[in-house]
Amino acid sequence: MSALAAAHAPVLATRELVKRFPGVTALGGVSFDLLPGEVHALCGENGAGKSTLIKLLSGIHVHGSYEGTLLAAGREVKFSSTRDAEAAGIAVIYQELALVPEMTVAENLCLGHAPVRRGLIDWDAVYTQAARVLKMAKIELDPTAEVKNLGVAERQLVEIAKALSKDPKVLILDEPTAALSDDEVQRLLDVVRDLKARGIAAIYISHKFEEVFAIADRITVLRDGKSVVTLATQDTSPETVIRHMVGRPITELFPRRPNATGEVLLSVSDLTVAPHRGAPPRLTGLSFEVRAGEVLGIGGLMGAGRSELLLHLFGAWGARLAGRVKLAEIELKATNPHHALRAGLALVSEDRKRYGLFLESAIGFNLSLSSLSQLQKGGLLDESAEVARSQALFSSLRVKAPGLETVVRTLSGGNQQKVVIGKALMTEPKVLLLDEPTRGIDVGAKLEVYELINRLCAEGKAIVLVSSELPELLGMSDRIVMLAEGRLGGTFSRAEATQERLLSAALGRRSVATLAQPS
Amino acid sequence: MKITLKSALRDYSMLIALAAIWAFFGIEHPVFLSSRNLSLLLIELSITASLALGMLLVLLPGQIDLSAGSGVGLSGALAAVLVFSHGAPAPLALLASMAACVVVWSAMGALIVRQRIPAFIITLGGLLVFKGLHWLTIKGQTVPVSEGGKANLYSLLTTYYLPAIAGYVLAALVVAALCWSLLRARARRASYGFQVPDTERTFLTLFIAAQLVFLLVVVTNQYRGLPLPALILGTLALFVYVLTAHTPFGRYLYAIGSNEEAAFISGVPIQRTVVIAFALMGGVVALTGFMQTAYAGASTSTVGSLMELDAVAACVIGGTSLRGGRGSVTGVLFGALIMASLLNGMTLMAVSPEIKFIARGVVLALAVWVDVKLNAD
Repeated sequence: MSALAAAHAPVLATRELVKRFPGVTALGGVSFDLLPGEVHALCGENGAGKSTLIKLLSGIHVHGSYEGTLLAAGREVKFSSTRDAEAAGIAVIYQELALVPEMTVAENLCLGHAPVRRGLIDWDAVYTQAARVLKMAKIELDPTAEVKNLGVAERQLVEIAKALSKDPKVLILDEPTAALSDDEVQRLLDVVRDLKARGIAAIYISHKFEEVFAIADRITVLRDGKSVVTLATQDTSPETVIRHMVGRPITELFPRRPNATGEVLLSVSDLTVAPHRGAPPRLTGLSFEVRAGEVLGIGGLMGAGRSELLLHLFGAWGARLAGRVKLAEIELKATNPHHALRAGLALVSEDRKRYGLFLESAIGFNLSLSSLSQLQKGGLLDESAEVARSQALFSSLRVKAPGLETVVRTLSGGNQQKVVIGKALMTEPKVLLLDEPTRGIDVGAKLEVYELINRLCAEGKAIVLVSSELPELLGMSDRIVMLAEGRLGGTFSRAEATQERLLSAALGRRSVATLAQPS
Repeated sequence: MKITLKSALRDYSMLIALAAIWAFFGIEHPVFLSSRNLSLLLIELSITASLALGMLLVLLPGQIDLSAGSGVGLSGALAAVLVFSHGAPAPLALLASMAACVVVWSAMGALIVRQRIPAFIITLGGLLVFKGLHWLTIKGQTVPVSEGGKANLYSLLTTYYLPAIAGYVLAALVVAALCWSLLRARARRASYGFQVPDTERTFLTLFIAAQLVFLLVVVTNQYRGLPLPALILGTLALFVYVLTAHTPFGRYLYAIGSNEEAAFISGVPIQRTVVIAFALMGGVVALTGFMQTAYAGASTSTVGSLMELDAVAACVIGGTSLRGGRGSVTGVLFGALIMASLLNGMTLMAVSPEIKFIARGVVLALAVWVDVKLNAD
């Protein structure tokens, strides 16, 4: 092969990859090329085959377990372990971070291959090596900091540094910004750009189109396990990509249909909350109302206190120092979720695997758990009533599963989210608190969640929607409250809200909150 | 559903293990299968299994009770001292001792959930404290369960046998109830649109169950009849089964054990549920204590020793997860039967205590290992 051809040969390529699991074909023919020094985005709904493809590229699914060919620098490679993939210059940064929280940045960077002198770890070498790696990646972090004290974004950077310490030719980033604020996303994108300038190619996987369009040179769309199309970013648009992802044009991304609002269902006045008594308050002087049939969006940067606010209203977090919360004229003391549910409040938490689901249990078990006190007859469970109500929710939410007895772990992210929402809905709440209800679920499932929000509003429920994605807040809320470091940054009506206004309110630049009610 | 060798092994591993143990002892020492020994085995099983059923209630929400064995000794001793040294009527003595246990176990449960002290530590403390209290109570003596060998409710716990005819009537009732509940459950599942086992399999299950129930009564009637502890165990097992499988409380136990944070956010009353589980455990510990002490004839310093480990072992062999969230009454009963059979068989063969300990330990480790292997996909 001539030097010229080699320079243009893809660093990594796949040809007609097919991977079958018992009962499902996860990949049904994936072909794409990763050129030297390019950032190549992979887009696709959940279940489109992105994760499987990465596992194949990184040697988790070994050669022989799939059909098709994998090429690195023009030559076929057969990985029989992740070490083989590493040796071929492929480094992966996974969605779920793989750092040891109790160790320092440097210890994490050297984990598994710490420099040794006379059988003992050479700590000086550990820290100088780590400092060198961080400097090389232009990441400003203290190598002696303990990982548990770092934010999610900083941990992500440690992961990248760790991957870079192996001197890779290809970096695979799997949803690296799922938990990052806008600022942190920018920082991460800068690092990726810098690597690109140094000739390291990257495969970038994200649900967020803004990032994809900001960073990627080309985009390959996966649908149902097949590579559908590869597009040059400059010649395409998010709409086109979405159309390829779902296989049909989506006319409305946020189909919010405002409707007539009714009485005030939830009213919060002068709420000040600390993590525990004696601690400085995390939420200060918050006041707002939500009416029947209304969606109140709550936004803010990471750490602004959005989730804490919802958890507190629900009785699951913090000690109230001042203020009152009323739910349809009932005073809510917020002592525990049990009482909140009884009063007619339900919460869908942001971390569904941790706070929402019983993964090893059946869908039916999950759906009815919050409503069991209403489902008993003489101390025993009224199983016919339970099944009838679970079945009704199961069909109205269109959960894609064989039946109520299917174990939740086997469902896709979007369907798991439907189960969590279903559990909240079965309690027949007056007010529904949704914390990032569309995080990590695909476009189709997002739409279904939005439609559900519309339906619930039309039924006269009040909804509080927390989201870190401004387009979602703007698209789905009737009014928006922005939090800035636990204080009210501003309240906006649907008409006056713009990305810029919301962002400046989130940053606390607006000292006087504009109080606007829809007239 | 495809039945492979592995799935068959997994579904019937306990039955196979049990059959192997029984075959071994039956061949090595035919007395093992005599009606007298099987009656004694049934009493021993009832004692082990009762405690294990209580243990299931605390293991399901991810807790543990290491103090159960010491508690068995203490509750038996309290009742024995009340009867023998203070001349209290046996029913009153049993009731008082049981009430004390329920209160103390509730307190341990409250310490665990309210003060957030791990159950392992609290009940390890309980193990030592109750052992000490047990020895203080009997003052190093042997305290019989009744005065001058007269029969009272306490001593009758393990010496009363049901008349033959009552045994048959009971067996008929149990079989009828079994048929009715199984067929009803089947009909309901079908009406929900759930998968139901095919008719042949259902009838086969019923047929075998009915055979076993009658066989049990026939065999025990050849000796003195159905022993009272078997009746106590049956009632307790039914109670725990209904509690775990058909009440909100039972669902809460599983939910807390599977994912405590999600259970909290789902509105499960975690503190109340765990405290009640421990209160029930207190009652079961007392009941087991009475049976075990009555079986020994008197409270001595060794009654109940290490029984908590047998109870945990029975649960684990029966498929209960020590992390919580997984376990069933039938599994625990099988696990207890395996443990009780081993101990009974080895005692018959006059195996030395040293070897008994070693054998039980090996069986426990082996059972869990096989379970892990068969469940790994």
